[in-house]
Amino acid sequence: MTDQEPSPNPAEAPVDPLFTHPASPFLRTEVPAPVAYPSPPNPTPPAAIYSTWVTYRTQIEFGLAILAYLMVLVGSVTVVQANREADWRYYVALLPVAPAGFVIWLFVRALTRLDERQRRIQMQAFAFSLGASALLTFGYGFLEGAGLPHLSWTYVLPLMALLWGAGTAFFTWRYR
Amino acid sequence: MKNRLRALRAELAWSQAELASHLGVSRQTVNAIETGKYDPSLPLAFSLARTFKRQIEEIFEAEITRA
Repeated sequence: MTDQEPSPNPAEAPVDPLFTHPASPFLRTEVPAPVAYPSPPNPTPPAAIYSTWVTYRTQIEFGLAILAYLMVLVGSVTVVQANREADWRYYVALLPVAPAGFVIWLFVRALTRLDERQRRIQMQAFAFSLGASALLTFGYGFLEGAGLPHLSWTYVLPLMALLWGAGTAFFTWRYR
Repeated sequence: MKNRLRALRAELAWSQAELASHLGVSRQTVNAIETGKYDPSLPLAFSLARTFKRQIEEIFEAEITRA
């Protein structure tokens, strides 16, 4: 260890050496000499590394539930189309509602876990989605009256979801 | 509202993520408060005051606007 004083000239001042032992670069084997620009006294430890499951649990559960919904939907439509006269076709046609309900439950649970800023963003995004959907659907309804082709009301929910996603992205950006 | 959150956090040498974890909010929320884009609720403001052992008035300062 040396007791040299830090140089007053910043260009000539020594910097804090990271490693002092040539044979063991990962261990500091002696107390470093005082330097003009030392390292921070207590370097913050690296952030804990969590597993993908812990970090993205909600997204993974949501993705699996959507996948289950799509699988049941395709199966249900296939079975109903192959059995158009069967009495039980109504029950099979309703089967996709179960995984869709699970998706909604996951969605509501995810909303309750948000912090106050994220809840505000969601509230604004839902309000935007509802209002914009109302304007678009009413507008198209008037256009239908003027002669445009009729569209199924099942398009309304995907439209709302699309607008909700766009609203979430926009209002999240506004708080950045 | 203006605030001294970034300076107070620097005094403790905490990252935004560490403060967020302490408060139970997301890191993006801490960033939005620091940059003045989001004003926290009263319970969150009290949590911040307790965390930094200050009065709320020492952390936040209302920007006076004419009504």
